[in-house]
This record gives sequence, structure tokens and C-alpha cells, in this order.
Amino acid sequence: MTAWSPVGCATNRAMHAGFHTRVAPRALALAFGLSAAVGWCASVQVDVRDGAGQPVSGAVVFLESTEAQRAARPLQGVEMAQEKKQFVPGVLVVTTGTEVHFPNRDAVRHHVYSFSPAKKFELKLYKGTPANPVLFDRPGVVVLGCNIHDQMVGWILVVDTPYFAQSGMPGQPAGQAVLGDVPPGTYQLRTWHPGLPVGAAALAQPLVVGSAALSAEVTLTGLAP
Amino acid sequence: MTLRGLRHSLVARLVGMSLLLLLAVQLAGFAVVRASIERNARAQIARELDTDGRVWQRLLEQKAERLRQGSALLAADYGFRSAVSSGDTQTIESALENHGARIGAAVTALLDTRLAVRAISSPGGGMKQLSATLAQVVPALAAEPAGSQIAVVNGLPHQFVMVPLRAPLVIGWVLMGFPVGQPLAEEMRQLLAVDVAVRVADGQGGFSVPVSTLPEASLKTLRAAGSGVGEIETQRGTLLVRRSALSHLGAPSEALLLRSVDELVAPYRQLQWLLAVITAAGLLLFALGSSAMARRVTTPLRALLVATRLLSKGNYSVPMEHTGRNDEVGDLARSFDHMRLDIARQQSEIRDLAYRDRLTGVPNRERFRGAVMDALRTDPVLGHRLAVLVLDLDRFKHVNDVLGYAFGDRLLQAVAGRLQPMVGEPGDMLARHGGNEFALLLHVTDAQAVLQIAERIARAFETPLHFDDQTVDLSASMGIALWPDHAVDADMLINRAEIAMYGAKKRLAVALLYDPALDSSSAQTLSLLGDLRRAVEQGELRLYLQPKVALQRGAGAAAEALLRWQHPQRGLVPPMEFIPFAEQTGFVRQLTLWVFEQVAMLLAQTLARAADLHISVNLSTRDLLDPELSLRLGAILERYQVSAGSFCLEITESAIMDDPQRAEAMLNRLAQQGFKLSIDDFGTGYSSLAYLKRLPVNELKIDKSFVLGMQSGGGDAQIVRSTIDLAHNLGLTVVAEGVEDAALMERLRAMACDEAQGYHISRPLPAEQFLGWHAGPGAAFVAAP
Repeated sequence: MTAWSPVGCATNRAMHAGFHTRVAPRALALAFGLSAAVGWCASVQVDVRDGAGQPVSGAVVFLESTEAQRAARPLQGVEMAQEKKQFVPGVLVVTTGTEVHFPNRDAVRHHVYSFSPAKKFELKLYKGTPANPVLFDRPGVVVLGCNIHDQMVGWILVVDTPYFAQSGMPGQPAGQAVLGDVPPGTYQLRTWHPGLPVGAAALAQPLVVGSAALSAEVTLTGLAP
Repeated sequence: MTLRGLRHSLVARLVGMSLLLLLAVQLAGFAVVRASIERNARAQIARELDTDGRVWQRLLEQKAERLRQGSALLAADYGFRSAVSSGDTQTIESALENHGARIGAAVTALLDTRLAVRAISSPGGGMKQLSATLAQVVPALAAEPAGSQIAVVNGLPHQFVMVPLRAPLVIGWVLMGFPVGQPLAEEMRQLLAVDVAVRVADGQGGFSVPVSTLPEASLKTLRAAGSGVGEIETQRGTLLVRRSALSHLGAPSEALLLRSVDELVAPYRQLQWLLAVITAAGLLLFALGSSAMARRVTTPLRALLVATRLLSKGNYSVPMEHTGRNDEVGDLARSFDHMRLDIARQQSEIRDLAYRDRLTGVPNRERFRGAVMDALRTDPVLGHRLAVLVLDLDRFKHVNDVLGYAFGDRLLQAVAGRLQPMVGEPGDMLARHGGNEFALLLHVTDAQAVLQIAERIARAFETPLHFDDQTVDLSASMGIALWPDHAVDADMLINRAEIAMYGAKKRLAVALLYDPALDSSSAQTLSLLGDLRRAVEQGELRLYLQPKVALQRGAGAAAEALLRWQHPQRGLVPPMEFIPFAEQTGFVRQLTLWVFEQVAMLLAQTLARAADLHISVNLSTRDLLDPELSLRLGAILERYQVSAGSFCLEITESAIMDDPQRAEAMLNRLAQQGFKLSIDDFGTGYSSLAYLKRLPVNELKIDKSFVLGMQSGGGDAQIVRSTIDLAHNLGLTVVAEGVEDAALMERLRAMACDEAQGYHISRPLPAEQFLGWHAGPGAAFVAAP
């Protein structure tokens, strides 16, 4: 809590948070941060397209900077559930240090594992919710699999920033992601998509955020179909 | 053809030809079947190899699929993934090795998502070559991840598969290589009983065969064979080869599928052997059967052959065999048998004609002689004797002359009829021995028995014969000779019986037993005959000529040829001592020819030709009855180129009267040849001038008894004179013999006798002196008025 971002943009944040129905604790935290907020915040709209210019949904865009890293706080109450032999959500973006619960809502057992360098773990055959959540303490892409069900794939993107969004979420135009309440500054706009080759780093491009809203465009190439 | 030859030719030909045909058919069938089996076998093997090729490919595919599945399972193994994700190269390599070994991979490698080799495990080593191979294999596999690739590693083809390593996304690739090795080949062999060999090019034009189910010997042959070989010959027989390419990456390699023609054909071969055995057995049975059949045909043929030989030897008594058969052979045999009987009958007829006197119906002289010889040969019973009785009718010629030949014939028949009862014993025989001569062969115990038979015959002859109005008294002279008392052989026995008969005739006895006294020369007969032969051969005979002179006019020189014998021991033998003997034995014919030839030689001489010689040669009865006489004389004339007109042939009356018909025929022939003919000793026989008139005679020679009788007065002069007149009236010239003095010669000249011959003129002179005499002392006679 001490390293909280000096920039607070309540309205935007609230609006932003409204899209994350399961991040209520975080909204509370943001609301708590309002008191310390200084200055104006801008919202960043990012359109993600593929090499052919078609909008790409499901991409994760996030802004990185030293300030943003400092402003990042672990999320609370985050879970990556398994329902109908699928990871839900398919792509989960968390900040570094977040502890994620893996509740099993299927009747069958699952054996969730990750061999990703960002976080290697395994939750051996279990039912219900394991007692201990898994701590994701390093940024990076963590690919989740189930040793019992090969078709189950899930991704947890661990980022060192609180500013992230996913393109093409319900209610948004295809391929569009909106990052709200971004304090002005110089960032690296990074874009990642599960269709990128395994182990490939997120696309990075510099982005200067002022006090006004701005929009950026990202072209992702090399996506798997 | 011999019996063996016949059997060989017919049986062998029948059986051989049939066997050859059968064998040819069997061989043709055998060859066709064999070729067909071979062709079908190859076609079947080709089809099987097609299938083998497909199965092999399928096996490889299945193998690859299995490997890929195994590899996929391995790649999904959590522990393996854990190890791989450890990031530690050594750990990863050991994990690769460990897990590769689990499914029997020879090569296991981990590739990252960009297909770069991250780690590799190859227990067999050869890492350097492996890397080069992987560089070719991996892109090919990446282009077709579900497939497999085969490449040669360490001289052995390996099947490579590549599967993704998921965690759960593809985080890399696991590549595994499995040898296409002996186990696979063995599996193929067990599956389809096809031999498999894997051949790998070594890059220097040669190749190696690292995998093979073939035995070592065949493998050696395969290694020695070229690369494009379609079949190889091994100790196990012919192997057909089907090639199936394995890899084109790296060193080319191929799998060879091999199937043995011989193994496939083997059961058929056994069948063929069985067939061959059956064929051989069949041929044997056929040969036996057909030779038995052939024998059935040729055995009667042989019997027929034997039978025909018997026939040709004159044995007609053995009936043919096989006449009971119903086939053609039987027909042939019956026909032969018929022929045998016919020939036998004809033969018997011919023999009958040859050995029987046709007039009287009794055996003839030849038959009689044969019977005597047979009796001598077969009847040497101790104490028994063989007798030959020769009977000669007295005055038969007179009967013939007076009463005619027909009467004479009837007389002979009657005599035969009377003699017939005299021969009762088995083996006895009555034969007509000559014109009026009969002979009897009698088996008796002693001479007395024969004499009794002779007496019975004489009694039988006492009864006169009555023919028509004529009554004829029969009388005969009989001579008897006994064997072994008087002779050692048949001819001698008959001969001595005849001598005895002549003796009886001379003494006017009815019957006479042979006595050596009757035959003074008999002791010398054999040696005399031998001497005579020798005399001719060694030139002991001499030709003498007694000149004849013409009484009326000076005609050419003439003479009578006479024979003298200059015996080396006995000196000059007079004609009377050997001529009768020669006439008796028939040797006189040779003497006559000798004389004739000598005269011909003489006439051929230049001097004789100039002298216009006419020479008389005496002919005997034997000569006259020799049907070849004219030919023989003709041949001599031809040889010496002298004319028949220079010869005068003198024949006695009795010589003609022995067989007047034949004699007349011969005289006619001689006259036609140009010979002059003269009747010798005219007046001593019974011949009438009327009869002589029929003969082609040129001259009469008045017997010297009449000429000599002229001196003593009486009727002889009248006989001579009238004979000369008669002869002249008949156109004959007259010669007087025995002119011993000049007065006699003058009287004969006065009687118009044409020629004279006698001691007054000249004794017989040796031939070489004759011409000299003619030129000297003889000239006086020639010059006579």
C-alpha cells in the first residue's frame, strides 16, 4: 500500500473496474487511493490489428514504466477456475505478487501445472479449491495445462503494472482495448496475445501519455490462427 | 533273317515305336507342365511380392504410426516434460536417453519450436553423422508432422518421427529415430514367410546389407549381385527380388523382398517326381505288355518260319502250329498248312513220276538203285543177305521187231505182273531196269533162297502169254548177286547181278549166281577204271589211223581212227581189253570224245587240210544215247575250226538197235550237222536194209567176216556182191574191211566196192606217221586205176 501510484483517477477507474466484476477488492483499493490522487488521468484506447489489418480480440495490452511498476500492487481474491474442463477465464492478467486460487468446479479431478519459466508449479490431482493459492511473483507468461486433460490451456499473464486491458471484451468494438486513468508519463505499450509463439515476448512500443485521452494502434504479426 | 533278327526287328520295332511315342507324349506333357509350373510359380511369386511390397510399406507405416504414438505418449509424459522443462541440458539429455530407451528409440532429440536441436541422445554414437542426417530429416518431418522419414544413420536405415512437446502448448518437438533392423525383417518373415534384406549404398558405388533374414550363403550371393538385380541364384535355388525404396535422404537404401521360386515349386516338383515315377512305371508296364503282345504275334511267325524251313528241306510231315487261332495269324497258319499239304501231294506226284516206270507201273532203275542203297544202309542184320536178281527177256528185240512196239509194251506189262508176286517181303522191290530188263531186290537168308525164287520165276514164265491171237513163249535169263558175298556197295551189287545175267544168257542157263569167273576183269575193274582215267589225264592214249583207199576213182585220203593205250607197265594194251569195259562203265564216252578231239586237231593241221582227209570215228551205243553228243561234237568242231564233212561217224547195227528211236533221232541230228554216217560191221545184226533206208546214212561197212569168207568160197562172195548192189541202189557207198591181199582187193574192185581197208593196204599207223604213209607207200594205192 505504501508504493501506491500517486496518480488517482477515480471516475475512470470506477468505470474501468466496472468491467471487472470479480475484481471488487481492487476497486476498493482504487477507491481507497482516491484520497492520495494528484493530477489528471487520461484514458488510452488501443486498437489491436493483425498483419492483414483485421481487429484482433483477446489481446492483452499493458503499459510499463518504472512508475507503473512502483504503482503496481498484488491483486486480491483472484482465481483461475476450471469449469467444464476449461480454464476460466482463458487469459488471466495479474500483477506481480498476486496469489491466484484454482477452484475446481468440475466433478473430475484436475492436475494443473505450469512449466513456464515465469512460474513453475503443479497442483496435483485435486477437487474443490486447494487450500493454498499460487503466488505469481515474477512477471511473464505462464501457460497453464492440466495433466489429465491435454486440451485445457490457460494463460496467466503476470505484469508489473496496474495498467492493463484486453481487447475485444464484451461491450467493446472488436480488437479495441481501453486503458483508463493512466497517469501521464512515458510508457512502453506492450501487447501480448495467446496466439503468439510460445515464449515470445510481448510486443513493445513506446507511448507517451499526456493528460488528454489518446488512442494507439498495435499491429500483431505472427499470430497463430 | 535269323530268328533273333526277326524277333529283334519286329518286337523291337513294335515296342520301340510305341514306347517312343508314349515317351514323347509324356515328355511333352512333362515339359509343358514343368514350364507352366515355372511360369505360374514366377507369376505367383510376382503377385506375392507385390503383396509383400504393399505389406512391407504398410508395416513401415504402422511401425511409424506406432512409433509416433509411442513418441507422442512419451512427449506427453509429465515426468519427461518436467525433465525437459528443467532447462538443464544434461538432465534433458539423460531424460531423452531414458525415455527414448523406454520405447526403443535409437535416437532421441529435443527441438525447440524453431526446430533447432536443443538436446540429443544417441546411445549408438555417431553424433557427427547424426547431425547431418537430422539437418535433412527435420525439415522434411516439419513439412509433414504426421508422417515419418527414413534416413540412414551409421549404415542402418532409421525411421524418424517427430512429435510436438506440449506443456500444454507446443513448446518444442521430440524427434525419435528407430532402426529398420533385424526385428522388423524377422517380423516380416514371420508374417509372410518372405525373406527381407536391407541394402544401403555406401556412397562409393558399393553397398552393404546390414539386415537380412537370408542365410549367410545366400547373403554372400546377394552382396556379389549387382544393384539392379531382379533375381539371384543361390544354393537354395532361384530367389526373385522385389525392391522397395526406403530412403532418399542421405545414403540411398532399399529393402529387398526375396522369395524362392524353388520353395514354391518344391511341392510341384514332388508331384512331378511322382508323375515321373508313374510314367516310368507306365512305360515299363507298357513295354512288358506290348512286347508280350508283339511276342504273341511273332511267336507264331517264328513257328511259321521254322515250318517253312522244314518245307524247304522237303519235310512235309510236320503240321503247322497256331492253325486254331481266330486271328490273321491263324489265317496265315492255315494257309501255310494248306500249302504244305498241296506241296506234299505235288511232290509225291513228281516223285512218283520220277521213280516209277510209266509203262509197267513198277519202280524204275533210279528208284531201284536208291532202294538197294537204302537197304544196304539200313539193313545190316547179321546173317541176312540182300540179293539183287536181274532178269533179261530173251529175244525181246525180235518180238518187238516182228509184233510191233505196242505188243512189246503189253508183253513187258505182263512180265511185270508175273514178277510182282515174287516180291513179298517188306523192303523187297521189283523194278524195270532197262528196256527188257527187270531187277528184283530181295531180302533173303542165303543163296539157296534166291535160287528158289529164281526157279519160281522160271516156272511162272513157262506159261505162254496170250495176246489177241498171238501166243508168245517167254524165256528169260537171270543173274543173281548177293550182299555182302559179292559186292560192297549197291552199284557193284547190281553190276554183278547183270554180269551173272549175261553169263546165264551166254551159257543158256535160266539163272546163274554171280561167280568171279564170269567176270575175268572184275578183279581189275576198279583199278582199270582208275587206270583209264589216268590214261586220259596223263596222255597214255594214242591215236592210230588205218588208211582206207578208194577202189574206183582217186578220191581224197581217208582213214579210220583207232585208239591204242600205251600203258606204262603193260605196254600197248589192245583195244579188246579195255573198250568193252569202257562201254560197260560208260567211260567210253570220254574215250570217244578224246578220239574225236585228236582227229579234229589232226584235221586242223595245215598238212591235213591240204590232203583233204576224211576220217572215220567209231561211236558206241553209250555215245549214241547221250543226248548231248551232237552238242559236244559241235563244240569241238567249233574249237578247231574243222568242218563236220571231214568226219565219218561209224555206228554198229547193234548200237542202233539198243534204242532205235533215240538212236534215229540222234543220227538225224548228226546228219544235219553235216557229219557223214556209216553203218559199221554191216551184216552181223538183224537190221534190214529197209530200216536202214530210213536212216540218214551215207555208207555201209561190210563186216570183215564176210570179206574174209570170200576167199574160202561159199555164199559170202554172193552176200558181198548183193550187199554192194543193194547199197548202191539205196545211194550208199560201200567200204570193205579186212582186205588182206591184192586178189581180194581186185575182186572187190570188180564188185564195184567203193573203198577198201585192211592189212593189205596198211596196218593202223600212229597218227603222226599217217601223213607220211599217205605221201609214200599209200600213194601207190591212190594211183591205182
